[in-house]
Amino acid sequence: MKVFVAALAFAVVAAVGVAMVLNTLQEPSSVAFSTSGARVGDPGHNLIGPG
Amino acid sequence: MPSSLSNFRAICAAVALLFAFAHPAAAQLSFKPTAEAVHEDKLLNALKEGDKITGRISIPDKMASSLIQPAGRDWRDFHRGKLPIIGGVAILGMLALLAIFLMVRGRIRIHRGFSGKTILRFASFERFTHWLTASCFIILALSGLNVSFGRTLILPLFGAEAFATMSAWAKLAHNYLAFPFMLGLVIMFLTWIKDNIPGKLDLEWIKQGGGILFQGKHPPARRFNAGQKGIFWIVIIGGALMSVSGWFLIFPYLPGNVTVLQVWTVIHAVVAMLFIAAMLAHIYIGSIGMEGAFDAMGTGEVDLNWAKEHHSLWVEEEQAKADAPPDRTPRAVPAE
Repeated sequence: MKVFVAALAFAVVAAVGVAMVLNTLQEPSSVAFSTSGARVGDPGHNLIGPG
Repeated sequence: MPSSLSNFRAICAAVALLFAFAHPAAAQLSFKPTAEAVHEDKLLNALKEGDKITGRISIPDKMASSLIQPAGRDWRDFHRGKLPIIGGVAILGMLALLAIFLMVRGRIRIHRGFSGKTILRFASFERFTHWLTASCFIILALSGLNVSFGRTLILPLFGAEAFATMSAWAKLAHNYLAFPFMLGLVIMFLTWIKDNIPGKLDLEWIKQGGGILFQGKHPPARRFNAGQKGIFWIVIIGGALMSVSGWFLIFPYLPGNVTVLQVWTVIHAVVAMLFIAAMLAHIYIGSIGMEGAFDAMGTGEVDLNWAKEHHSLWVEEEQAKADAPPDRTPRAVPAE
């Protein structure tokens, strides 16, 4: 049981860690794939926004 | 003569009038764009496979220049039509097969009963790797099935708001748990590859139905029998295909163009359905299908009689390593 719980905990920690690293390395698509002239002020929290 | 001049003027006027009507500016007055324009379906059908209608853009996203890609219709039809059928047949078919197998064969018991002694089958690190990969796989499978079947099966049950929230979290879990899943795959491959090389013994095991089709007959096997080796290679090859295709889905600009990306999504989806079906069989035989099997990944120690029935050569090797008489290996301890 300890091994199972440890595996679950590691999976969660690893997933959160990867999310933090990727979010640090990558730009939001609303910034990466548009020029400054085409950017809207607040892209919102949908799939293209920063959320 | 005046008559001739008059006739000449009339002819010139008629010719000038003809030129006037033949002029493009005059022609535009009678042109009907909607009637004469190219019909969209004719245009799309005229495009050959791989053709695209593209425009010019100045934003950094070069893939956004594709306006019409007819292959996308085939891709959409596949996801809406064929994929649910493939998934439904694979997963429901496997569940039906397992249910029939359980009814006909029943639970595979330890023929000689529990011995009361156990032998270490999997060390802690091996079980950790198994559960790391397995737990990630279950979340990946459920969240992936939600993509294919969620709108049909879950949306009507919970409503749009709950379904949208759940799907958004499921997508995040799917994207990020893929990484520990891939790590687990690599460790499993390195840890168990040496015991999973197919050999002649596996052919004999298969000929005898693995000892699970007929009661009391157990063909010899080393640490992993042919069935377990099959599962191992399904996990490694299937997992590798899922990892590569999933990597392209997480980073969709890597494949280079949308057509290649669509091919990877098809591979990802089809392999996923078959992978899930195969893992259902693995989960079945490792739990309710076979008495004593779950202990291997539960506590790590299996009953000695179970080990002798299903992995007789492995037990002999372990006992030889321990240099102890049969049934009294240093590793064999009373079961609780």
